[in-house]
Amino acid sequence: MSTLTLNGVRKSFGALDVLQSIDLKLEDGEFLVLLGPSGCGKSTLLNIIAGLETPTSGDIFIGDKRVNDVHPKNRNIAMVFQSYALYPTMPVERNIGFGLEMRGVETDTRKRAVDGAARMLQVDHLLDRKPGQLSGGQRQRVAMGRAIVREPELFLFDEPLSNLDAKLRAEMRTEIKRLHNRLGTTVVYVTHDQIEAMTLGTRIAVMKGGVIQQLADPMTTYEKPANMFVAGFIGSPSMNFITGTLVRDGAHVGLTTDGNNPASIRLPRVAANLDALLGRKVVLGVRPESFQADGAAPDLTGTIDVVEPTGPDTLVVLALGNQTITARLGPKLTVATGETLGLSIQPDSISLFDPDSGNRIG
Amino acid sequence: MAERMSALSGPSPSLWRRLDPAAALGRLSETRYWMYLLLVPSAILILAVVLYPTVYGFQLSFRQMRLNRPDLGTGLVGFKHYVAMWNDKVFWLSLRNTAVWVTFAVVIEFGLGLLAALALNRNLPGTKIMGVLILLPYFLPNVVAGHMWALLLDPRLGVINDILVRLGFLETYKAWFADPSTALGAAILVEAWHGFPFFALLLLAGLKGVPDDLYKAASVDGAGPIRQLRLITLPMLRSVIAAAVILRVIGLVNSPDLLLILTGGGPGQSTQVLSLYAFQKAYKDFNFGYAGALSVVMFVLLMVFAWAYVRVSKVNQD
Amino acid sequence: MITTSRRARLGWNIATYAVLLTLTVFCIFPLLWTLLTSLKYEADIVTQTMQYIPKRITFENYVTIWTQSGFPTLVFNSFVVTATTVVLCLITGTLAAYSFSRFHYPGRGALMLGYLVIRMFPAVLMIIPLFILMRGVGLLDSRFGLALAYTSFLLPLFVWMLKGFFDAAPKELESAARIDGCTRIGAMIRIVLPLARNGLVATSVFVAIAAWNEFLFALMLTTSQGSRTWPVGLQLMVGEFQLPWGVLAAGGIISIIPVMILFAIVQRTMVHGITAGAVKG
Repeated sequence: MSTLTLNGVRKSFGALDVLQSIDLKLEDGEFLVLLGPSGCGKSTLLNIIAGLETPTSGDIFIGDKRVNDVHPKNRNIAMVFQSYALYPTMPVERNIGFGLEMRGVETDTRKRAVDGAARMLQVDHLLDRKPGQLSGGQRQRVAMGRAIVREPELFLFDEPLSNLDAKLRAEMRTEIKRLHNRLGTTVVYVTHDQIEAMTLGTRIAVMKGGVIQQLADPMTTYEKPANMFVAGFIGSPSMNFITGTLVRDGAHVGLTTDGNNPASIRLPRVAANLDALLGRKVVLGVRPESFQADGAAPDLTGTIDVVEPTGPDTLVVLALGNQTITARLGPKLTVATGETLGLSIQPDSISLFDPDSGNRIG
Repeated sequence: MAERMSALSGPSPSLWRRLDPAAALGRLSETRYWMYLLLVPSAILILAVVLYPTVYGFQLSFRQMRLNRPDLGTGLVGFKHYVAMWNDKVFWLSLRNTAVWVTFAVVIEFGLGLLAALALNRNLPGTKIMGVLILLPYFLPNVVAGHMWALLLDPRLGVINDILVRLGFLETYKAWFADPSTALGAAILVEAWHGFPFFALLLLAGLKGVPDDLYKAASVDGAGPIRQLRLITLPMLRSVIAAAVILRVIGLVNSPDLLLILTGGGPGQSTQVLSLYAFQKAYKDFNFGYAGALSVVMFVLLMVFAWAYVRVSKVNQD
Repeated sequence: MITTSRRARLGWNIATYAVLLTLTVFCIFPLLWTLLTSLKYEADIVTQTMQYIPKRITFENYVTIWTQSGFPTLVFNSFVVTATTVVLCLITGTLAAYSFSRFHYPGRGALMLGYLVIRMFPAVLMIIPLFILMRGVGLLDSRFGLALAYTSFLLPLFVWMLKGFFDAAPKELESAARIDGCTRIGAMIRIVLPLARNGLVATSVFVAIAAWNEFLFALMLTTSQGSRTWPVGLQLMVGEFQLPWGVLAAGGIISIIPVMILFAIVQRTMVHGITAGAVKG
């Protein structure tokens, strides 16, 4: 029995389709991240799962119960909002225990549950304060406390870390992961931050325009993106896209770049794999960290445009024909603008996309 | 003209420009005291036309001043008026009526205003025009409003009387404003009609300041609409409600307009309120001293009320 | 509100419409009835059986009120007083509102609280000394004197409201203008005022409506036809001439036409201004 099942969920506002037929199945204990840019429909999907919005068509099952007509409070879910949505006129203690209070749980049981949740999130010394007296991170924890105290079947997070500064965000990210390891409850987590998606999720659903572009575990999404959108969205600096035509290059297949100034790239894959695609126009995707400086037998050579030392790496922007690529190379590199540089591509680290559809072809 | 423009936009060397008033004003605006200078015109006005008369009015309450009895002079009489007030039956009656009048009016206005605000906040289609129309009574003049309702409730021609008779609530037309037992009530109805849009407006503004997320969270937590109103919305509106109530009470206590037009304090003294009583003492009896004393009492009562309300509602705790 | 069942949501929607419809009728009915009355023949008004929809309409009431007892003069006086009040408020109040909005200095909070305390002064308390004062300077029974009185007690409200609108205008634009060489007053006139134009209009209309409607001060401070405003005039007519209902209704309708026009202008800005401000705060 899976914790959450969505069958053909659609949502439209008049002529506008916000969600187009979403199908999902979540197993118990999974951490699903809905990842995408703003407007992709991820928050709408979350609200539909929560019951705060109704789908235009489709079914939602929590456990094995169809919950389309079930009020949010009866779906056995808990939600953490981007703005935390803490009740400003109530002290923290009442905020955390509010859900239990509304369900008529006795004061003693309630207090024990609240204390337990507060201690787990290290806010037990703040129980008397009002939300306005707390810092952003503390409010975050109280919001999570309110969610976990009810021991629901499903946690829903709506971009909970977006309002925090970078350092706090990293801390809370670890906190959430720790909490998930400890409690093991199923989670649906909405974010636009791909680092959160990669570090927290057991599976990532990348969304765009109301459609799930890819549903897979983080590493698969990272290494084998289903289309150019997913490829470009995940990873920073983002994947390089080079348009060109596949040609034969000895035992290998090569790519001749498009445009007036064609350059050649040798692809690190045996020709046989790509025979069927020869002569075809493709988009080559290579992540910056898949390059290595290679003076001896480089797969490609280009002219250095910009050099950006970041500390742990050096980012080099290379002009290749009419296109540019970014490579992440070692920190001790001594190169300068204007020089030529040869790079090799790690084997099995490329993606080929169809230029028209954007979909992966190899 | 071009010179005037350039004078406004920077320091100017030539002598001709130094004489130009616009340039002078421009330079004046750069001085340290500019922010205070800006306040001067209004300060003069308020000091002359508000503060001075008010202070005058205060000390008037300790004076004898009956404009139609110049023989009595205008000397200081200490607390004579206040003592007289203590023994004045009409004063106590007015005080009681004022309390009844204000309390009922504010409660009804708050109730209707909250209802209107909650309904309007849902932004259902077609409700915008209704919102505009609902606000109208507050902006209509008291004179016209008073006579409108006098006509509606007229003992011979009142259409409301007619409707009530047809619906069976009444047997014959009622003389609402001529009957001491209903006059105050009818006047409160008219005042509530006039004043509830004030609450509706302020409460609507306050409602829009409550983030939507709070209601979502409350729904997930299991609070129904009534509990959401009681536990989330109203507490968050505490300071708006306080402001609205205090302002409205001040307005109701201080201005006798509507009652002056509707009933003039009658029948008997059933609709006599403090502001009306003071006004009559001044305008009809020309007993300025006593009227001044009555006004001072009103002012003190209002101050006490405002202070007490703010403390009790713990508004400053937020 | 979040209700899952369509039936529950429909129920709440019906309730909402019912409430709003009832309140709308409650608010508009007196006005409508007065309008109907003003168009009826007097005979039809005082008949035994109530005429809801008039069988015949006439404009004779409007003619009567307009040609009788100097009503046009009253309206004109009101117009002059209102216009003067608005102008006075604009000149003095804009400066003050700007000062409160843009500058921070000690006592600012106290000054603004003082506004609230001023409002607590009963009108009667002020009218008497004002009467004596104006009589002393010869401003009693004059339109300018009345406008002065109105300005004084409307000014705090004007400043309070306008300050809110000024607060909403970003300060950076003025800073940029001053770097470009504008003086403070130049920046105020050329940058802020155009931005706050809506607020200026709304606040001025608010003051205009209040001045137009005002009754008590006008009653006490004007004594003759020459400067009497329409509220006092109309009320006195009722007392003196036993004004027939139709004529009174016509007078009332004429008097509130300016208010309705002003209200129509301002209602959109008001609601918009309130909601915008509220969302920001």
